[in-house]
Amino acid sequence: MLEPKMYESDTRPDWCPGCGDFGVLAALKDALIKSGKKPHEVVIVSGIGCSSNLPGYIRAYGFHGLHGRPVPVAVGIKTANPNLTVIATAGDGDEYGIGFNHVVHAARRNDDIKLIVMNNEIYGLTTGQLSPTSRLGQKTKTSPDGSIIYPLKPLPTILGAGGTFIARTFSGDPKHFSWVIQEALNHRGFALIDAISPCVTWHNIYDEVKKLFYKLEDRGYKPDDEHEAYKAMSDPEGIPIGIFYRREDKPSFQERLAEQNLGKWPVHNVSPLPKNTVEELLYEFS
Amino acid sequence: MKGCDFTVRIGAAAGDGIQSAGEMIMKVMSRSGLYVSTYNGNQSLIRGGHVWFHIHASSRRVYSLGYGIDFLIPLTQLAYDQHYENVNESGAIIYDPSVVKVHDLSQKVKKYEVPLAQIALKYDKRPIMKNTVALGALTAVLGIDFNVLAKSISDQFGRKEPSVAENNIKAAKDGYDTVVAEGGSLVDYDYDYASAKPVLTADYAIALGAVNAGCRFYAAYPMSPASPIVHWMTAHAKKLGLTVFLGEDEISVVNATIGASYAGARAMCATSGGGFSLMQEAIGQAAMTETPLVVVDVMRAGPSTGLPTKTSQGDLNMMLGISHDDFPRAIIAPRNPEESYNVAERAFNIAERYQLPVIILLDFAIGDGGYATVENINTEFSIDRGKLLTSADPELLNGTWFKRFVLTDDYISPRTIPGTEGMMFVAKTDEHDEWGHDLSDVLAGLKEYLPIRERMHEKRMKKLELLAKEMRPPELIGPSVADISIITWGSSANPVREALERLWNEGVSVNSFEFSDLYPINKEEVRKMLASTGKMVMVEANYSGQFEKLLKRELGIDMAAHIRKYNGEPFYPIEIEKGVVGIRKEVHALA
Ligand SMILES: Cc1ncc(C[n+]2csc(CCOP(=O)(O)OP(=O)(O)O)c2C)c(N)n1
Ligand code: SF4
Repeated sequence: MLEPKMYESDTRPDWCPGCGDFGVLAALKDALIKSGKKPHEVVIVSGIGCSSNLPGYIRAYGFHGLHGRPVPVAVGIKTANPNLTVIATAGDGDEYGIGFNHVVHAARRNDDIKLIVMNNEIYGLTTGQLSPTSRLGQKTKTSPDGSIIYPLKPLPTILGAGGTFIARTFSGDPKHFSWVIQEALNHRGFALIDAISPCVTWHNIYDEVKKLFYKLEDRGYKPDDEHEAYKAMSDPEGIPIGIFYRREDKPSFQERLAEQNLGKWPVHNVSPLPKNTVEELLYEFS
Repeated sequence: MKGCDFTVRIGAAAGDGIQSAGEMIMKVMSRSGLYVSTYNGNQSLIRGGHVWFHIHASSRRVYSLGYGIDFLIPLTQLAYDQHYENVNESGAIIYDPSVVKVHDLSQKVKKYEVPLAQIALKYDKRPIMKNTVALGALTAVLGIDFNVLAKSISDQFGRKEPSVAENNIKAAKDGYDTVVAEGGSLVDYDYDYASAKPVLTADYAIALGAVNAGCRFYAAYPMSPASPIVHWMTAHAKKLGLTVFLGEDEISVVNATIGASYAGARAMCATSGGGFSLMQEAIGQAAMTETPLVVVDVMRAGPSTGLPTKTSQGDLNMMLGISHDDFPRAIIAPRNPEESYNVAERAFNIAERYQLPVIILLDFAIGDGGYATVENINTEFSIDRGKLLTSADPELLNGTWFKRFVLTDDYISPRTIPGTEGMMFVAKTDEHDEWGHDLSDVLAGLKEYLPIRERMHEKRMKKLELLAKEMRPPELIGPSVADISIITWGSSANPVREALERLWNEGVSVNSFEFSDLYPINKEEVRKMLASTGKMVMVEANYSGQFEKLLKRELGIDMAAHIRKYNGEPFYPIEIEKGVVGIRKEVHALA
């Protein structure tokens, strides 16, 4: 029987009191338990940033790697062992800045990994510089007079890249958050969850988000139409959360590999080739 | 069998099919029982310009491009102008007089005039088969059974329309007959058609060796001259059940490889210098998280994008100084394709036993250069996965986390892989304690932190001391005592070997020490080996003497002289011979 304490780490998060990332952590644990995932079959991969410290706070396998690179590490893990549940968790600087290329290509390949981007529109750990999602006019340490750069819109970009599951949720609503993760875990392929997770220290947008967010599912929205998804993603008035787009008819990259016998699992059974195979291969060169 | 030893060079424009002509010559020679060593004088160009292919064939094991050119086949005037000066006195030239004007050539060189274009036009609207006609002529000049060539042609074009191979064989036969009509073979070699030898390049050998060592995850982003590895891997993926991951860039490639290795696979990636530059931060990550990693760097001449199709041994300094701060790594530079095959086995065993990055350094000269032989290939591989736990070890659990980075007497901590029940841990690229807790989060700034950081850093670095003991000293070639001792490494060992024989015949007292294991240096053994050398001469293909400096740094060894080359071509034995003779004179003058 899975119990919440199975996912309890011995380390308490060192996030600032009130940081949105606490809500993300709680929702992730809740979703994993509700999805019936066993801790030793789950791997959480992260980059560098406040948000990226998350793997240490949840008792599963973890890989706390480099800034911007959790997605390729996660892809390597999942491809090597498709039996694992592989989740990447990182910040907006990490995933929409330095490592965005990898996100685009994971979406294109439809890698069977789930990516939760704790989007606080700022660099937290390096103490409050502009991030790729910072707003026009936003005052930060590196934009004292207000940012003169338009923010990136990650969701439509990933939709354009071929993303098959694109959602947004809010750390201030852990129930909704947990639900979105559970749906992502059930999804066949790459899932991007853009998580509004405010940084209370450098760019506190809690009150604003609370005022503006609404749930797509409350409005009868169906996430099965690409054009509707683009529209919903660019609502100028409010902040919609929920699942914008989802399609289950595209096999994941890992499924395609398996279909074509391109990969023999389990990977840890490492053995040399049969002697006659080696000789055959060698003599292909003669 | 009458001994033979000769070289062939065919030169043409890119797009003339010189690559496939080269491959066919290589096969004809190896299927005639000869050992070969080849070099691809490529340009980074798809059509036009000048490309050439060189082959040294012999009834004994060959290592280098040999001496001069015995048989030159210039398909263009430019090819003639580029190479005629190197044609040996006793050599021959096969050419089309309507295309090539032969000038300044020694009278002794035998000329075979073959209307290559005219014959080729019989079989196609464009004279694209002229290289096959030339191969036919060459086969006759060498007195090789035409069927051997015919078979090589069918193999080469087997995937195309049957008429392609048929027409090529007819064209080749016309070339063959033209020479026979002119008087035929110039030589009287005997060939041993029954002992065909595989022709491996180091790139292919590494690919095959890695798979035999248990590698089932290979990642790449194309970069010359490392691309043949990914080509071989993809071609065999289905049959062998390999995962080949073509990443969006080298950063994704190396990180995915690290991910696969962390998950328990034997995983490898390869690139050339520029791609390796991009991989560096991640290689530090592998060392810090103690994830085994095997990376191949096929060196080309640089810096930057440099000479994409030319050779160099200039990346050693980068390997010694990968990324920031100190971390352990192993660097091995196999000397030839056979050794590359077996190095793959050692690389994976070392990477897993010591949980660190292992760099295999090849270069264009052997990465793309074919060698016919299998004699030193040992197909029996032993797999040593090091301290890999497959089930829970209660002693290493503290209830919540597995003590992944536990301090041990041999500096190596047992590891486990995801999926193993109860043995969860976080592989941390931030500095961490024995459990993998982040030091900078909770401890940095407190005094308790200092000794932990020190011990973890020492633990990683001290693996080098342990590993050094199993790193191999150089191989001694020649007498154990000599006036001059050549020190060399990787592919440069090949031309040195060939020069040695000539030098011995000239009565020069010389031997050579060939390094493959470059780092960490087994100081004790290397010191012993190099204790009784003559005047040491370092031979390496880079500008600044990178390995020479490493030996100086690690062992305080001074060279008496050095021979370096950095024009993008590999050493020719003659250059080493002349270099050594010159150095000997100087040494004698000083004495
Ligand atoms: C290659 C590299 N560049 C820069 C850094 C410094 N760095 C650490 S965290 C960070 C930004 C973190 O921002 P974000 O990903 O948004 O995460 P947050 O801290 O806001 O959760 C940067 C730039 C680094 N570690 N590595
Ligand atoms: S700085 Fe911001 S993102 Fe980082 S822990 Fe504090 S509140 Fe959270």
